[in-house]
Amino acid sequence: MRQAGTYSGILSGGISGRTGPHSLPLARIKKIMKKSGDDVKMISGEAPIVFSKACELFIEELTVRSWLVTLKGKRRTLHKEDVAAAIISTDIFDFLVSLVSNNSNGCEANLDNNGEEMV
Amino acid sequence: MADGPASPAGGSHESGEQSPRSSVREQDRYLPIANISRIMKKALPANGKIAKDAKETVQECVSEFISFITSEASDKCQREKRKTINGDDLLWAMATLGFEDYIDPLKVYLARYREMEGDTKGSVKGGDGSGRREAVAGQPSQNSQAQHLMLPMQGTE
Repeated sequence: MRQAGTYSGILSGGISGRTGPHSLPLARIKKIMKKSGDDVKMISGEAPIVFSKACELFIEELTVRSWLVTLKGKRRTLHKEDVAAAIISTDIFDFLVSLVSNNSNGCEANLDNNGEEMV
Repeated sequence: MADGPASPAGGSHESGEQSPRSSVREQDRYLPIANISRIMKKALPANGKIAKDAKETVQECVSEFISFITSEASDKCQREKRKTINGDDLLWAMATLGFEDYIDPLKVYLARYREMEGDTKGSVKGGDGSGRREAVAGQPSQNSQAQHLMLPMQGTE
């Protein structure tokens, strides 16, 4: 794990012992938080901890909903299109719709227009 | 913490423009794909497989999720004239944006963390210390109100 000393002892000793070996890197979470807006300047030490668990819950929910789409298609491999379908059919994932409709509809070269060239 | 508030990567990007996102290194924008993949696999039955494109999509979605929640929490802090986004602000934002199912597990998680923090404070100088350092480092650019709000935090040590 890459997180710095302050938390590593705590995480390896306790929280991750309960949730498994996969706590998400707190420093990275913090970086992403800071990119959310210019007014995001100060973040309490607890905030990335909350997100490390919240992201886990979010990934699980998104994966399970996507998997249901996979199963409906009588497949065994979860694909990007399944994730997109799950997002479109789930209200709380509305904020992701533009992200996946960009990705799945049409050619991926278009993505460069948004500066989102990650594919 | 490796990246303090004066973190060169985050700081320089913030003060610049938002638009050249593509120039920002990928590892600054996303959580590691290996961690994402592990959490995804855990959510599937043993015979389930996950394509690479699905992992990458989820990876992007997670960053979007963090930004979405953080923005809402940040707005709340601004309305209330507070400078530091804390865990409760995030919980509030999640509840507001439809993720109320996450609140209970998160509260349990946070309570455990706080317990742990109390236990290890003597030897490790827990999360408390880093929060305070961050607040102090952020102050030069802030007004006196922020300092005012920071005081109770320092007092808890």
